[in-house]
Amino acid sequence: MTSGTEKASGKKKDSLLQWLDERLGLEAAFKFAQKKQVPIHKNSVWYYAGGIALMLMVIQFASGILLMVYYVPGLEAAHASILRINSQVDFGWFFRSIHSWGANLLIAVLAGHLFSAYFMKAYRKPREFTWYSGLILLVICLGFGFTGYLLPWDDVSFFATKIGLDIASKMPVVGEAAASMLRGGHNIGQGTLSRFFMIHVAVLPLLCLGLMALHLLFVQMHGMSEPGYFKKLEAAKRTYEKFFPNFFLKDLLVWLLALNGLAALVTLYPWGLGPEADPFGAAPIGIKPEWYFLAPFQFLKLVPPHIGPIEGELFGALLMVVACSGMVIVPFFDKGESAGKAKIATYYGLVLLLGIIAFTIWGALS
Amino acid sequence: MNYPVWIVPYLGGGWIIGIIAIIHVYLSHFAVGGGAFLAITEGLAYKRKDDRIYEYLKSHSRFFMILTSVSGAVTGVAIWWAIALVNPDGTAILIQNFTLAWALEYLFFAAELATVFVYYYSWDKVSKEMHLFLARLYCFLSIMTLVIINGILTFMLTPGLWIKTHYWLDGFLNPTYFPSLIMRLLIMFAIAGMYAMVTSSRLKDEDLRTYMAKYCAKWLLPIFLLGPLVAYWYIANVPQATMSTIFTGIQSSGVGNFSILARTLYLSLILSGTIVLFAYFGPYLNPKGFTFRIAILFLACGLGATGSTEYMRELLRKPYVVYNYVYSNGIRKEDVPRLSQEGFLTAGVWSKACTAQGENNEQRGEVMFRYQCMSCHTPTGYRSMKKLLGERDEDAIYGFLTMLRETNPEKNQYLGIMPPLTGKDDELKDLAKYLSTINKANVNLTFKPN
Repeated sequence: MTSGTEKASGKKKDSLLQWLDERLGLEAAFKFAQKKQVPIHKNSVWYYAGGIALMLMVIQFASGILLMVYYVPGLEAAHASILRINSQVDFGWFFRSIHSWGANLLIAVLAGHLFSAYFMKAYRKPREFTWYSGLILLVICLGFGFTGYLLPWDDVSFFATKIGLDIASKMPVVGEAAASMLRGGHNIGQGTLSRFFMIHVAVLPLLCLGLMALHLLFVQMHGMSEPGYFKKLEAAKRTYEKFFPNFFLKDLLVWLLALNGLAALVTLYPWGLGPEADPFGAAPIGIKPEWYFLAPFQFLKLVPPHIGPIEGELFGALLMVVACSGMVIVPFFDKGESAGKAKIATYYGLVLLLGIIAFTIWGALS
Repeated sequence: MNYPVWIVPYLGGGWIIGIIAIIHVYLSHFAVGGGAFLAITEGLAYKRKDDRIYEYLKSHSRFFMILTSVSGAVTGVAIWWAIALVNPDGTAILIQNFTLAWALEYLFFAAELATVFVYYYSWDKVSKEMHLFLARLYCFLSIMTLVIINGILTFMLTPGLWIKTHYWLDGFLNPTYFPSLIMRLLIMFAIAGMYAMVTSSRLKDEDLRTYMAKYCAKWLLPIFLLGPLVAYWYIANVPQATMSTIFTGIQSSGVGNFSILARTLYLSLILSGTIVLFAYFGPYLNPKGFTFRIAILFLACGLGATGSTEYMRELLRKPYVVYNYVYSNGIRKEDVPRLSQEGFLTAGVWSKACTAQGENNEQRGEVMFRYQCMSCHTPTGYRSMKKLLGERDEDAIYGFLTMLRETNPEKNQYLGIMPPLTGKDDELKDLAKYLSTINKANVNLTFKPN
C-alpha cells in the first residue's frame, strides 16, 4: 500500500519536472550549476560577500516596495507618512528599520566585496566588464543612499542633502546644471523631493537590476576569480568544490548569519526619525552625513577655502576624483604581465582603503 | 535599602548580572542537555558496538567536563556574587523563601560534579555497562538541578498562590513551572546538539564526521516540533499585564522604549528560527561541508538566541524582581504607601546610616538615587539619566518625580515598566537636586559614607 502510494507520488513528481524542463530547460541549468566550481584557498571566505550583497539587495527591493504602500512623497506629507509607518502601521517600524539598516549593511558588504575582488586581482582579463559592472553597482548603491536619505524629510536629512548638492554644484562644467536638475530649482523643496523619490524608486532600481543581471552573467561566463598564488599551484594541489549544492548550501548558512545580524540591529536599534525639516531654520549643530560619505566630507573639511585661483571645495572634489580614478584604470594598468605593476596596484589599493577608513573614523570622531 | 549596594559605573549592575547570567545559562543548559547527549549517544554506541562513537565520546566528554565543571561552576558562583551585591534586598527574599530548595540544588550540583569527574576518568577503566550507568546517573542528576532551579526562576515571574499563602511549595510549583521546565529541556537538547557539532566537526574519520553532523542536527528537532506548542502554554500562564506590554510594542516599536519587550521577543523568535534552518541547511543537508569554523559561528548564533530569550524572560517581569511582590529596586509593593508617607531614607538600615552622614540635600538625593534608581539606571552610562532627563531643570525634574510617585496607572504611565518612586516631598526634592547636577557636568557617584 505504502509502496504503491510512493510510486504514484514519484511518477507525479517526475512528470511535473519533465513538464517544467520542457518549458524552462531546467536540466541544462541544473547541469550548468553542477559543473560550476568554486576554488578552495585561504581567501575563499571572500566569495561569500557577493552572495550576501545579492541577498541584501533582494531585501532592499522587497522592503522598499512595502514602504511605498504608505509613503507619500509630498512636502507636507512625507514626514507624517514616515511617522505613521513608524508608529501606527503594524510592523511598519520593522520594515523601515530593515530598509535603513539593510542599506547601510549593503554598502559595507559591497565595499568589502569590491576591495576583496581588487586584492585578488579579479579585474584582470577576462573579467574587466565584471569589474566595471561591480564598480558602477557600488556607485548606484551610494546613489540609493543619497536619494533615500532625503525621503523622510527630517531636519538632518534636509540639511545633509543641501550640503551634498552644494558640493556637487562646485564640480566643473556639469556640476551646477546637475545640482540644479536634482534640486528642481534653486532651493530644496517639493521639486527635489519628487525627483529624489523618482530616482530612488524607478531610475536607480532599473539601472541596478540591469547591471546586476549583467554582473551575474559575467560571473557565470568567466567563473570565480582565482588569486595568483592559487593559479600557480600544480593542478593536483588546486582543490575545488561544486557550486551546487555544496557551496550554495554554505552560502545559505552565511545568508542566515547575515540575516541574524540585520535582525539584531533592527530589533535592538530601530531606525528613528528626527523632527520635520524646516527649510528656514538653522542647520542642526555638528551635522554629519551617513558613514559612507564621511570620508569625503572629512577630507573636504581639511581643504582651505581657496587654493590659488581655485575654490577649495572644487579642488578637494577633483583631488578625490583623481585619487579614486585608479580603480577605473587598474584593469589596463595591471594586466598580470608585470610583477612591478601588480605591486603598485596592490599598494595603491591599500593606501586608498586605509585612507577611506582613516577619514571615516576621523569624521565620526570629530 | 537594608544593605550596601554595588556601584558599577557606566555599565550598571544589571548588565553585570546579565552578561554573567547569559554565559552561565548557555553553559549550564549544555551541562544538562549534554548529559542527555552523553547518555543517549553512549547507549547508541553500546547497542551498535561501535568503537568509533566511543572514541568520539571520549574526546567530547573531555571538552564537556572542562567547560561545564569549570566555566559553568565559576559563572554560577559569579551570579550569586553579582545579584547579592547589585540587588541584596531582592536576593534576601529568594534565599529566605527557598532555603530548602537552594540546599537541595547545591546537593544535586555537587553530586553532578562528582559524577562527571568519575565518568570522564573511568573511560576504559570500568565495564561498558557501568560506564553507561554513570552517563545515565549524570544525566539524572543534572536534570534534577534544572527541576529545582526552574521552580525558583519561574516563581519570580509567576509566584502563583504564594502571594496569598507564602508557602514555599506554592511558589515553587507555580503556573509557569511545567511549561518552562519542558521548554528548557527542549532548548537544552538543542544546545547539546550544537556543542556536539563543534566537537564532531573536528573528527578526522569523514564517514563518522558526516554521520555525527547529521545525528547532532537531529537534536534540534524536538524544539522545532514542540517549541511553538510549549511556548504557547508558557505565554498563556504569563501575567496578562505583561502580554499587553508586548502587544503595545508591536505598533510602537519605532518610537519609544516601551517596546523593548516586544522587540526582544521578535529577535528571540528570528534567531531561534534561523538556528533551526541553519541546522537543516548545514549539518543535515550538507554534513561534509559543515566545518569547524561554521560550527563555531553556529554556536555563536545559539549564544545570541539564548541571550535574547533570557533577556526577554527577565524583561517579562519588569518592574518586579518577584512579580506583584518586590520591585526591581528591592522595595516590596506593600511597603510603597508607607514609605511615601513616613519617608524612604530612614526606613532601611543602610540607607538610614548613609543619610545620617549626608552633609547636604544633594548627597541625600544621591542616596535616594542609589537605592531607588540605580538597579536600572546609571548617571551617564547605560539608561543614562543625563540622556533621559534632557534639558529639564530642577523644578521640572521634581515635577516628573512626583508623577513617578503616583501609584494610579492613569496618572503614571511608567508603572508598567518602572517601580513607583517612594519618599516624602523633601526626599523627592533632594533627588531632583542631585539629578539636576547630572545635567551640568560629567558626574561620578562621589559620596562615600563610612
